[in-house]
Amino acid sequence: MHTLDWIVMLGTLLTIVAYGVWKTRSVKSVQSYLLGDRDLPWWTIGLSIMATQASAITFLSTPGQAYEDGMRFAQFYFGLPVAMVFLAVFVLPIYYRLKVYTAYEYLEGRFDLKTRTMAAILFLVQRGLAAGITIYAPAIILSSILNWPLTPTTLFIGVVVIFYTVMGGTKAVSVTQKQQMIVILTGMFIAAIILVLKLPTDVSFSDAVGVAGKMGKLNVVDFNFDLSNRYTFWSGMLGGVFLFLSYFGTDQSQVQRYLSGKSLAESRLGLLFNGILKVPMQFLILFVGILVFVFFQFNHPPVHFNAANVDKLKGTAYEQQYNDYSDQYAQLNDQKEAEIRQMIQAMRQDDDASLQSAQNRYETISQQEEEVRDNVKGIILEQNPGAKTEDTDYVFITFVTTYLPIGLVGLLLAVIFSAAMSSTASELNALATTTVIDLYRRSFASNKSDHHYLQMSKFFTILWGGIALLFALIANLFDNLIEAVNIIGSLFYGVILGIFMVAFFMKKIRGNAVFIAAIIGELIVLVIFVLDKYEVISIAYLWLNLIGCILVMILSQLFSLGSNRDEEIV
Amino acid sequence: METHENEPLNQENGPPVFKSWNQLYAFVLILHAVIILLFYLFTQAYA
Repeated sequence: MHTLDWIVMLGTLLTIVAYGVWKTRSVKSVQSYLLGDRDLPWWTIGLSIMATQASAITFLSTPGQAYEDGMRFAQFYFGLPVAMVFLAVFVLPIYYRLKVYTAYEYLEGRFDLKTRTMAAILFLVQRGLAAGITIYAPAIILSSILNWPLTPTTLFIGVVVIFYTVMGGTKAVSVTQKQQMIVILTGMFIAAIILVLKLPTDVSFSDAVGVAGKMGKLNVVDFNFDLSNRYTFWSGMLGGVFLFLSYFGTDQSQVQRYLSGKSLAESRLGLLFNGILKVPMQFLILFVGILVFVFFQFNHPPVHFNAANVDKLKGTAYEQQYNDYSDQYAQLNDQKEAEIRQMIQAMRQDDDASLQSAQNRYETISQQEEEVRDNVKGIILEQNPGAKTEDTDYVFITFVTTYLPIGLVGLLLAVIFSAAMSSTASELNALATTTVIDLYRRSFASNKSDHHYLQMSKFFTILWGGIALLFALIANLFDNLIEAVNIIGSLFYGVILGIFMVAFFMKKIRGNAVFIAAIIGELIVLVIFVLDKYEVISIAYLWLNLIGCILVMILSQLFSLGSNRDEEIV
Repeated sequence: METHENEPLNQENGPPVFKSWNQLYAFVLILHAVIILLFYLFTQAYA
């Protein structure tokens, strides 16, 4: 990497961290440390909410997903604005009225201590796992592409985040997230512009979009109802609403963001700001992936995007085979480019017959390309049976490091590190808050001084940071990182949301009924997930959110009826 | 932790630009519907 890129990347990251630490140097009480004095304006809350959700995985994985699978992933976010409105109307006023530190605190007043503790533990388990992936994901990809050693890269992300989160608490998280989000949006916007500028001179932007459409990449909305299809309008609007209600309404890493608002109105505006901007932002990120796809139609892509896998073939018996496949792939690319130019000509002349025949030839060549790519994956696996051959997460970063001008590479790397740090910081902050407020102070050490809880909050931030780092250092790469995080979330969110829905809307139900319902509901969700994994049934993971939530609500009602009858008999 | 579920909310400000929160909620939802419609037209146009 060029020296200028190092200066831009480290300069951007360290300036943001230094600013965050300096701005929060006066944090001296546990309230200030965990709730940030409740003085943040709506735009800081909104950007902080967006930065918490958008991890590095979002910026590495999403363009790759669009490259491979088109834009249908946008539908995953369709339920988000609905969830934001719901939370602003029904949930925020309750949290504000109760002046809670954590979402789970509310459950004790409404039900009992065991239900609060169970919800807090479910959160700690799933968020603790996700925090590891949030650090690991960018580290493994950056180390593979840039030949950086994995462990120091992981430690760099983790240690910097732990440092400023411990120093300034929740306020440092929000202050740095605002700057990080500005860097992220600017970087992605510049990447999109560069991609358009890098199109061949005889190919216009409109041609590029037309080509992507003909390749089936612009499939943003699909109204077909199919339970086994991961991304449709219906899975996004139904499963997605439940996922986002749970994530934004009950996941402390998000609740803590908007509880630090200056007033109820500011927090509401922060949520709605996210509701308005999130879907267009995801569209932009996916569209960057589409532009990368078009770019690689006119510039030879590597036959396999994970450079670390390819490096391991060098000097082995497979090297010559790899080189042959690579040459074959380049020749197919040339043929494909010629067909694309034919398609563009046909589109310009409205010549449907020529367009169709060029498209058919293109598809035939694409199939041959896919066979070559599969063969390369085959020799990678033969040489290293433990290798992960899924390479979509490496597509965007390959473009960044290979084709962006000096300086911008550093900026885009700063985007990815910023995203990793912003979401990890929220996670560590929330994990520490929940541990201190819902477990330590509530059940183990209830009458200590403010200073003691402040020190323990810092201690638990370091502890959770250490656990996340440990998990990151020993974790294996999932096939697709963004899906891995969402799948882990979907296993727990539905049940947590169900507990809160019962709390908010089913006023007659008591603690015992919802506690048993939540345990059974979680077991059923896990069984469904395992059955799907072993292909006994087929159900997309987003539906687990809805199933978990509905199960807890129905079972709570049933157990409540049962316990009422028992009470009547007694 | 003390809770005060029956306390009234602190004086709440209305939203900027819009006359009431309900109008702002409606704006967010209608805008979302328009965005989905535009995405649908985009999908159809390039299918």
